[in-house]
Amino acid sequence: MHHEMLDHFAAGVSPIHRLDPAAKTVAALAVILATVLVGRDHFRPLIPLAAALVIYQAIARVPVGYTARHLLLLSPLVLGIVGLFPLLEPGRALWAIPLGPWRIEITQAGLVRGGHLAAKCVLASWAAFLLMATTRFQDLLQALARLRVPRVLVIQLAFMYRYLWILADEVMRLRMARAARDGGGGPWKMRMRSRVDLVGVLFVRTYDRAERVYWAMLARGFDGTMPATATAPARPVDWAFAAMTVAAALLLISADRCLYG
Amino acid sequence: MAEPILEVVDVRYRYPTGTDALCGVTFSVAAGERVALVGPNGAGKSTLLLAIAGFVPATGRIRLGGHTLNRATVRDVRRHLGLVFQDPDDQLFMPRVGEDVAFGPATMGLAPEEVHARVHEALAAVELEGYETRAPYHLSVGEKRRAALATVLAMRPQVLALDEPSANLDPRGRRRLIGLLRALSTTLLIVGHDLDLIMDVCDRTILMDAGCVIADGPTSAILTHRELLESHGLELPLAVAARQTPESPR
Repeated sequence: MHHEMLDHFAAGVSPIHRLDPAAKTVAALAVILATVLVGRDHFRPLIPLAAALVIYQAIARVPVGYTARHLLLLSPLVLGIVGLFPLLEPGRALWAIPLGPWRIEITQAGLVRGGHLAAKCVLASWAAFLLMATTRFQDLLQALARLRVPRVLVIQLAFMYRYLWILADEVMRLRMARAARDGGGGPWKMRMRSRVDLVGVLFVRTYDRAERVYWAMLARGFDGTMPATATAPARPVDWAFAAMTVAAALLLISADRCLYG
Repeated sequence: MAEPILEVVDVRYRYPTGTDALCGVTFSVAAGERVALVGPNGAGKSTLLLAIAGFVPATGRIRLGGHTLNRATVRDVRRHLGLVFQDPDDQLFMPRVGEDVAFGPATMGLAPEEVHARVHEALAAVELEGYETRAPYHLSVGEKRRAALATVLAMRPQVLALDEPSANLDPRGRRRLIGLLRALSTTLLIVGHDLDLIMDVCDRTILMDAGCVIADGPTSAILTHRELLESHGLELPLAVAARQTPESPR
């Protein structure tokens, strides 16, 4: 079920979906880097970045609601970091909240800085999300391998992708088996204990499975290296897409540096 | 008899807890034979498979495809033994079915074209053509089971060893698997409780209990021996039971 969600739109057909995964990864990295490098409190350079993402999203026909829901998942993190700025940044106080012997001041400079950081967070996550939403995870893994990401890391991601949902199914079965007997009720202390036990059982089962998977690998000749799989070569259009995105990102950052100093 | 393809001589293994799992198992299998290993739970059948593949440190002598199992030859032995594990989710560890089937041939160092041909051939043999880009998580149990078989067939092993091949399969999936297994010309070693499947597929049966070989002979003789089966926690296959009691209750 969850699995379907992750890859739901990645299986679509659009010029964007057909682009080489490695080219898309490079482009996404360029956009993320550009977003991060925009000078502090500069809002205007963020506009073309957002516009580029809107266009990308429209061509790829990724639904807006789907994107919004996933970006909202990040909101606790963003708010957690960003929410502190208006309190910590010195400047003209807009509001002052007395708190016993202290006074908490919300400053204008802090609000601007917090808002700017929030916008950057959203843009960077949006770019990463669009990459995920238009590229199958397996293709992304192959792209990472081609981009010389250390193989150990790629293999770990591959195993995570393969076994995450099996693990999720296992948790669901364990929880159902527990709920079937205690009806989800019982004293608080007992519920907590059974929750801890569940984690323990899960650990043991996962460990056992890891061993069996490793044996299955050895049985088929695993010697510590994963065989590389052949991929379709990148087309000129893929190179052009990656090169243009990187160039645009460089231009944007240079302009930001020159115009704002 | 020609030189056996698999020889197991006085193989013993004791669990770290001190219980005897295998107490001197001896048998040999000729090329092309289809042998079943049956017995109650805890008889040591699966442990024996793991011992043959060199995963549990058993004593005794194991010879497969001309290699005597030891530390130096374990990789050769595993290459010639196509071991299919009970849970296909353990067997299928790559993100895509095609990559998984390619894993064995690719680690054998075959050329990419040859790997591709092997993947195609193996998937065709288990009737899963066109499944190359499918994710194992999305397959049905029956499809997973057949894909797991394909991962091993692609290595063209001399002996195919299957642990409980029909576990969790519905009757149709099971019927299909039986058809596939019967069509294979490889030497087969099947561990399991599905005696009806064994009746259909294997010509020889080895009965194990408590780590020892109790009986070894033609399937038609062993799986029709009610007393022998019942004294070792098994019962007559349904097909045989139906034949032995022709008068049905209705």
